[in-house]
Amino acid sequence: MRTLLVVTLLGLIGVVGAMAQDAPIRLEKSWVRRAPAMPDAGPGAESNAGGYVTIVNRGTSPDALVGATADVAERVELHETRNMAGMMMMEPVAKVEVAAGARVELKPGSYHLMLIGLKRALQPGQTVTLTLRFERAGALTTHAAVR
Amino acid sequence: MRAPRLAALLALAVGCAGPAAANAASPGSAGLRTGAFDPPRPAPDFALPTTHGGEFRLSRYLGKVVALTFGYTSCPDVCPTVLAELSQLRARLGGAAKRVQVVYVSVDPERDTAARLRAYTEQFDKTFLGLTGSPDQLTPVWKAYGVSVVRRDLPGSKPPTYLIHHSASLFLIDPTGQLRVMAPFGTPLDDVVHDVRTLLKE
Repeated sequence: MRTLLVVTLLGLIGVVGAMAQDAPIRLEKSWVRRAPAMPDAGPGAESNAGGYVTIVNRGTSPDALVGATADVAERVELHETRNMAGMMMMEPVAKVEVAAGARVELKPGSYHLMLIGLKRALQPGQTVTLTLRFERAGALTTHAAVR
Repeated sequence: MRAPRLAALLALAVGCAGPAAANAASPGSAGLRTGAFDPPRPAPDFALPTTHGGEFRLSRYLGKVVALTFGYTSCPDVCPTVLAELSQLRARLGGAAKRVQVVYVSVDPERDTAARLRAYTEQFDKTFLGLTGSPDQLTPVWKAYGVSVVRRDLPGSKPPTYLIHHSASLFLIDPTGQLRVMAPFGTPLDDVVHDVRTLLKE
């Protein structure tokens, strides 16, 4: 009886492990920029922070990041910073495409997650849970270190 | 015979490049690696309230290198990246950091109160000076340094939120008050460290 249970559990772990390995989208090197507790954060002036992650698509189909949430923020938007002759322009984007076999880096001055309305200050050493929603792969979670 | 003539021509070309070359790396200018003003020009002086309650006046900082940049506290991506790098710059300079003053001018007078800007800049480095004020106080400073500031409302945001498109270049002012460098966003930190050291040694 006990052996059967152990075997079943081992089998389950194996299945979960295999699923994780087969998942075409992998999230790497996630981090979130620190943000202080700031006074005078009235409506529209809440604290924000940038979130960053590298998305690796090891599958054979294209996918796209279409949304995200964070445990410490009211909401998260996908943004792109573009450099127009020295002028840094930040615009919301509907999705971030990740072609089959591609690696897309969300990084400062480029695509990033904008964590809007922080519920608390973010200090280096803390961890933020980010959930990224993909068109095909669905929701994937990563634990991002605050830097 | 040929070599000296070529050198003279090159020197002439560098000399004629003028301030228009500010955005291009011009290694001919005093060995600076980032976008150098060639020739240097006097840094436009200005005075603004500091987040500590006093008044900042640029011309009082003769003898130091002033690293001047512009941003706002609700900016999640570019501004904290710049401030984090300036914090690393001071760490890399070691003892020489005492002769460098980082000055951060707000482009968002509506939201950046002194208390808010102070909390924001101090999380990166306690020595950073944040400057904010009324639009009437700030606008001439943006203009003097060619900093464009454009408000961009986020569609559908509740409460209404806006971002600000702005120039995020770093200006370096040498200890004699000359504007020497405009380093665009994304300039490698190594090059900025090099140029600050160069200006401190002159």
